[in-house]
Parts: sequence; structure tokens; C-alpha cells
Amino acid sequence: MNAIDKTTSADAPRSRYSAGVMEYRKMGYWQPDYEPKDTDVIALFRVTPQDGVDPIEASAAVAGESSTATWTVVWTDRLTACDKYRAKCYRVDPVPNSPGSWFAYIAYDLDLFEPGSIANLSASIIGNVFGFKPLKALRLEDMRLPVAYVKTFDGPATGIVVERERLDKFGRPLLGATVKPKLGLSGRNYGRVVYEALKGGLDFTKDDENINSQPFMHWRDRFLYCMEAVNKAQASTGEVKGTYLNITAGTMEDMYERAEFAKQLGSSIVMIDLIIGYTAIQSMAKWARRNDMILHLHRAGHSTYTRQKTHGVSFRVIAKWMRLAGVDHIHAGTVVGKLEGDPHTTKGYYDICREDYVPQNLAHGVFFDQDWASTRKLMPVASGGIHAGQMHQLIDLLGEDVVLQFGGGTIGHPMGIQAGATANRVALEAMILARNEGRDIVVEGPDILQDAARHCLPLRQALDTWKDVTFNYSSTDTPDFVPQATAAE
Amino acid sequence: MRITQGAFSFLPDLDDGQITRQVQYCIDKGWAVNIEFTDDPHPRNTYWEMWGMPMFDVPDAAGVMFELNACRKAHAGRNYIRVSAFDSTHTWESLRLSFITDRPADEPGFALDRQEVDGRSIRYTTRAYAADRPEGARY
Amino acid sequence: MEAVIDTPPTAPLAAPDGGEQAIDLRAEFTESGLARVLDELDTDLVGLVPVKQRLREIGALLLVDRARARFGLQAVSPTLHMSFTGNPGTGKTTVALRMAEILHRLGYVRKGHLVTVTRDDLVGQYIGHTAPKTKEVLKRAMGGVLFIDEAYYLYRPENERDYGQEAIEILLQVMENQRDDLVVILAGYADRMERFFTANPGFRSRVAHHIDFPDYTGGELEAIGARILDGMNYRLSPAAEEAFHRYVELRMAQPHFANGRSVRNALDRARLRQANRLFASERPVTAGDLTTIEAEDILASRVFSGGIDSYPPLPAR
Repeated sequence: MNAIDKTTSADAPRSRYSAGVMEYRKMGYWQPDYEPKDTDVIALFRVTPQDGVDPIEASAAVAGESSTATWTVVWTDRLTACDKYRAKCYRVDPVPNSPGSWFAYIAYDLDLFEPGSIANLSASIIGNVFGFKPLKALRLEDMRLPVAYVKTFDGPATGIVVERERLDKFGRPLLGATVKPKLGLSGRNYGRVVYEALKGGLDFTKDDENINSQPFMHWRDRFLYCMEAVNKAQASTGEVKGTYLNITAGTMEDMYERAEFAKQLGSSIVMIDLIIGYTAIQSMAKWARRNDMILHLHRAGHSTYTRQKTHGVSFRVIAKWMRLAGVDHIHAGTVVGKLEGDPHTTKGYYDICREDYVPQNLAHGVFFDQDWASTRKLMPVASGGIHAGQMHQLIDLLGEDVVLQFGGGTIGHPMGIQAGATANRVALEAMILARNEGRDIVVEGPDILQDAARHCLPLRQALDTWKDVTFNYSSTDTPDFVPQATAAE
Repeated sequence: MRITQGAFSFLPDLDDGQITRQVQYCIDKGWAVNIEFTDDPHPRNTYWEMWGMPMFDVPDAAGVMFELNACRKAHAGRNYIRVSAFDSTHTWESLRLSFITDRPADEPGFALDRQEVDGRSIRYTTRAYAADRPEGARY
Repeated sequence: MEAVIDTPPTAPLAAPDGGEQAIDLRAEFTESGLARVLDELDTDLVGLVPVKQRLREIGALLLVDRARARFGLQAVSPTLHMSFTGNPGTGKTTVALRMAEILHRLGYVRKGHLVTVTRDDLVGQYIGHTAPKTKEVLKRAMGGVLFIDEAYYLYRPENERDYGQEAIEILLQVMENQRDDLVVILAGYADRMERFFTANPGFRSRVAHHIDFPDYTGGELEAIGARILDGMNYRLSPAAEEAFHRYVELRMAQPHFANGRSVRNALDRARLRQANRLFASERPVTAGDLTTIEAEDILASRVFSGGIDSYPPLPAR
């Protein structure tokens, strides 16, 4: 345990502002007695100082560099209400089982941030400080966003409830599939996959993150063929269908053009990639809100900064920012699929997306109570290496307000895409029916699937084809607190 | 064709025991169960006719089945009938489950009308074949 | 036929070794919780000896029925509708609550709740009003027990267009066809109920168990009063006990006497007088003062001057 230093900035103003270099902790960035206000934004950093650097000083430096400080004392501070604007590190705890790393709690006054701007929030909190030399590594683990700040954002354009009302689909996860192969299909061939999958029983199909407008398929071709497929599938099933048309492009002008065309063709949903940037995301959310459009976000690129435990930004923070920014769908992990995802950490992400009030839960990596103040709910999407045989696990782990995306698990079916889609839909409905009847789906799941397969040959074949496929690798981003641990309060 | 609206349309038609268990699940969650019917199953036909009001104070599924059977007596064979459950919880305040319990013996399905406009763009209209006949005489 | 059980409580028993399988009724009695409910009934309710006896008999019958069903000897679900007859305040509603619990524990109703109604809850004011009202009540009661107090008011022979008849027809239909979903208890004065059954044989044939609730004796009423007071942290002073004894004797002989209910009302008024007395005394009060009802709190009753102690006045029947 570190010896917590009680020295604060109580020194007289004259000596505090005399020219020169001063320790951050002495400049007021370390205030162990500070009680965060209800309106403060609170950030929790995992700080790994360089050898020999005191953790308190390192944490105070993070507070300073992410708010008002610069490397030296500036007299112009005294022209401002600088005590208010200074971020205050008020607590530094050692990270359990991780020598050399510390959890630093830092409070920021609400006035430090422009209302309704993720760009401004992130420029402050993760702007300069991540390259700061005295730190070996730094990770933004979680943020408490005060209601006063949450309310400056519009939040999801549609949200889970309204999306369900628009689609007229209740009581079960939605089903999707990403069109494969990712690259090379012509517009005409691409639309074929969409039609087969939707007619077979899926609710949605999806463009992949890097399907934009390439030589093999220009975006207008894709949109036109996809909407033919959507409408045809809708007429042949009597059910509302959709396809996420990826409108990601090189400029905002192009994105708006693509979005408008999708709307004109009657699509209910469009899609963007995380790499377009926070401002572009907020702009498209605004557009989606104005045009009754569901906005799907593919978290392309996030693993470059979310995956490693010591450095970067936790995905739970990205999820919070995206709920504020106003997307309707976000990929949030599958646990059982091919991509990174510890079950407890993933549960934390799902709560952040779907609950109106998320209480602190250290075992899930949720460090703060978060009140969303009726901000609409963000539909999580589970995608990547999942198949019908895992249906019981998926529903048990992820609940029913989720889009389950079976890409390979639909298109790779030996009897074809329609059969693959039907297998997934029958497995899903049978599992929900059984769960609602009070059966223990975790234990009885395989039997429930076998029973359902008796009247559904495609499911029978899907279960036989993928029965043994699992991705059992240990996750890199796991909670620091074991489930039994009680909150350190 | 088989219209696949609702949560359980890909399964064989539910028997009364299965319907009862789904209804009891909804009741136990505190949701109000509602019975609706229609002979216009267009995917955007949101407002089916209500068979009475949502049942807010019925603790046992038998009460709902009593009404479902009465609704069937009046409309089965010529209409779709669905059961829905409303959740009044703050930040939800909408349906939580909806599934079809009865459908006409013959489901003719939908035509897709295409209107060519503006270059390659097409305006699509989904039209139920049955809707060509007047309400009440469709199935 | 709808009344046939399609799924008996458990599958018919077959002895695995070919020998005679046996059911331990005594163990079933304890495990089902029936023993506990009946014991509670014994200790919680004063008097009512014949009622308690009837409940034990019915409980035993149902337990045996259940055992028979498990041997595949029972094909039809038993008729469980009942009539509870007796004067007001003799414990009919209280016993109905326990009956619902007994039926629930034995698996004859799924939820075990009690819905209590009178004619006004079932019968409407205009054409087309009655059926939805009655059905609404039936739906709420399904899975439990429907208790219709003063059931004979449903039938008004003097008005042949009375809407009560419509409610009766719906009730009879459900009582016959949905025996697995609902148990109906018809309650009221014995003589009027008898006339009601005579005029509506359909009800008589569907009611399997008749339970008569006798009036309480003076001693039982005093015991009931003591329990009521104890439950509210009050007690009678020795002089007040004497006064209460005389009160009960006088009140029992008066019209509109409603057994336990009259006792409860009398004690409510005594508490009111006690509070006024303490307030008027203008001196500090002790815990003893606050819990003790004195003789004067009882003796101020109009009963002692020949009037009927009723506040608010009873509505004319």
C-alpha cells in the first residue's frame, strides 16, 4: 500500500504561482479530501508510472495534464477561477494483483466540457496525457458521467424499445448476418445473399466494416440490389426486414449522400464504422434522428486501444460515449465467439448499453454507479464466430435485447443460406419458448435444440456441422476484481 | 406461405398448453396480456383489432385463455389472432412479447408491386392478396 | 368433455416390482402443508368446531382423491364448489381464505388467491353491461377461489328482466366447464340460500360441499374480543371485563347482531372513548393508561340504555 501523502495545495497563492517547475501534487491536482460533486465528471485511470516515479505524483500529473496544467507554472492561471478548473485526483489505490499499477480517481468540473460533444470530452480526458513521459502506460478504465452532462446529449436516435416497435418484433433477440465473403461480390451477387438470409428467417443482414465503394461493387449498386432483396423478403414472409447499409465514406459529404439515398430507397437502418471519428458519429446520429433511421455502429478499430489491459481506453468507456453520441446498435462482444470477450467484462458492457441505471459492479469492471436519466437504450450486437448450437449459452449470457449475428453460421450452412437462416431462427424461437416455460436452458439447452431439430432439418444439419466449434482462448481484458470481492467502499 | 410475424412463427403452431405457459410467464413478469385479431396482416399494420382491453389484473393464465377461446369462437379461421404483453416499467412502456396463436387455414401472402422511377430506383409496395376483398370477407 | 383431467397431478403409479404400491396418507397430509393450515385454523379461530370438522373432512377427501388419481382410479376432476351459510360475522370470509390455501396446497387451484364479490360486482346497470362485468370477475378469480357474498341477491324473481339472471348463466357455465380453473364459494344467510338453491337447481347440483357456520356463544365472543385487543396492544381492566361480558349478553339479543364483526365494532368504539377520556383528563399518561380500556369506556355504550350500539348506523336491509 502506498503511503498516501496528505500534502495539498494549501500553500499561499504567492508561492504557488512563483515561476518555475513544481510537483503536480503541490499544484492542487492531488486533493485526498476532495468529495466529488454530483455534477463532476469522474474518470478512473489505471496508472503505471515509470520506475521510481511516485504513484501519487504520477496520478496528480494525469489530473493536471488532462485539465489545466502545463509543465511549468503560468501566471495567467491567476486570471481564472483556476481552483474550479483544476482536475482533482482524490484517490489512488493499488491495482489488485498487479504490482506497479494504480487506480487513480480524478474528478473534473462540469465546466471543463462543452455540452453535447464527445470530441471535446475525449480531447480533454485522453488528449495529451497518454503520451506523458513519466508514465509507462495509462488506461482509461471507466467514467462516471453526471446526469447534468448526460442530459446535454440526445442519446440514441431510436433506442431498443422504438426499434422493436418499428420492426414489430418483441420477446426474442433479433437475428442478423454479415454478408460473406467480405470483399469481391458484385452488387447483384451481394443482394442474393441478403435475400436468401432474410427470406430464411433473419431480421437483418449487414455490410461488413470495409464494404464501402470499391471497384468490384460501387455503393449505389449495393444499395439498389440490397433494397430489392429486403422488399422481396418482406413480401414473402409478411415480416419487417432490414439490411445495414454501410454509409462510411471518405468525407461527410459522401456519407450524407449515401445516407440520403438509403432513406430514399426505404431502408430502415444505416451503418457507420467507429473509425469515422466521434464528430462524424454524432453528425450521423443527428441525421438518423431527423430521418427516423436506425443507426448501426460497427466498432471497427477499437481493439487497437481497448484490448490491452495496461494502456488505452476500456471498451466500457467507448460504450458510454457511443450511448451519449447517439448510435442505436453497437458491437459489444459474444463471450462464446471468436473475438475477445471475458464473460463478466462483457456483462458490464451490456449493462452500460441497456440499463437506465447501472450500479457499481467491480466484478463486471463497472467502477461507478451510472444514471442514464432515461437516455434511450443502446442495442448490443453479438457478432463473430457464433452458431446455432450455442443458442442456449448466448441467450443465457446476453439476454433477449441483443442482435445475434451469425455470419458464417448462416452463409456456411451445407444446405444453403436460407437453410442456415432457418436453423438459427428455429433454434432461437425454441430456446425462448423453453426459457419462458421455466426450463433451465443452460443445462437443457442441447436437448431443447435436438428436440427442435426433429421438425427442422436445417437445424439438424447446423447442429451436426458446427457441434464442436468453440473458441477457447483466455481473454486479455478481464476484471481486476474477482466476482466474490465486495466493493471497496 | 406462412406469415412469420411474432416470436414463435417458425415453430409448429403452439398448442393451448404452450400458449398457457407463455401467458403465465408474462403474467408472472407483471405484464398485461392483450388479445388482438386482424384480417389484414400487412407487416406495417400495427393496429390489429383489440379483443377487449389488456388484462391488467388477471393472476392466472386461465383468465386469458377464457378470453382467447371467446375470441376464437368469434374470429378463428377468418382472422389472425395474436397475444401480446405490455410492460409498464419506466423506460420500457411497450410490448415485451407478441406471438400469433391462430391463423387462417389458407394464407395467400403478399404481392410486391414495383414502380420504376428516377433511373434505376424502384418504389416498392407490399400488398396482401387477401386485402383485395373487403374487411370481414378476406379469408 | 372439458372436465376430464388430461394431466393428473403426477403420472399414475405402477409398482416397479409388480407388488402393490402404497401411498402414506399421513405423510402426504404433513408434506402438503395441509396439516399446518388446519392446525393454524384451530389455533387462530375461536370456536367454529363444526366448521373446522367439515374442513378436515373435505381436506381428507381431497387428499384421498389425489391418491386415487395417482393410482389412475380417478378420471374426473372433483367438483369443489361450496356454499358457506351462516349469520354475518361468523367467520365465512376468513375460512374462505383458508380454504383457498388448502386447495392451493393440494394442487386443486394454481394460485390460491381469494376474490370476494357481491352482486354489484357481477351485475351491470344496463343491457350489455353484465356479461363483461361477470367475465372480468371470473378472469380475475381464475386460478383461485371466487367468494360471492350474499349470492342470493343475484336472483330477483320479482323482476323477470333482472340482469342478475345473465350473471347466473355465465357463472353456471364456468362452474361446470372450468372446474380446474376456478372454485366458487356462495355465501349468505342459511334460509335465503336455501330458497336460492330451490329456485336455481343448477347451482345446487354444482355445489358439492355445504358448510354451516353457527353463531358464536357469549364466551366465544368474549374470547374473540380478547384476541382483537391483544393484537392491538390493548387490554380490559377487570371491571371492564365484567362490563364487556354484560355488553355481549345484551348485544347478542338485539337485532342486526353480527357476531365477531359486532364485537370488533364495539371495541373500536371503546378505543375511541378511551382516547377521549385520556385526552380530557389533562394529565400525563403512562403506558398503562394507554393500553387499558376501563369499564366506563364500555358502559357508555347505548346498548346499556336499550339502544343499538351502531356507528355508523346500519343500512336498512
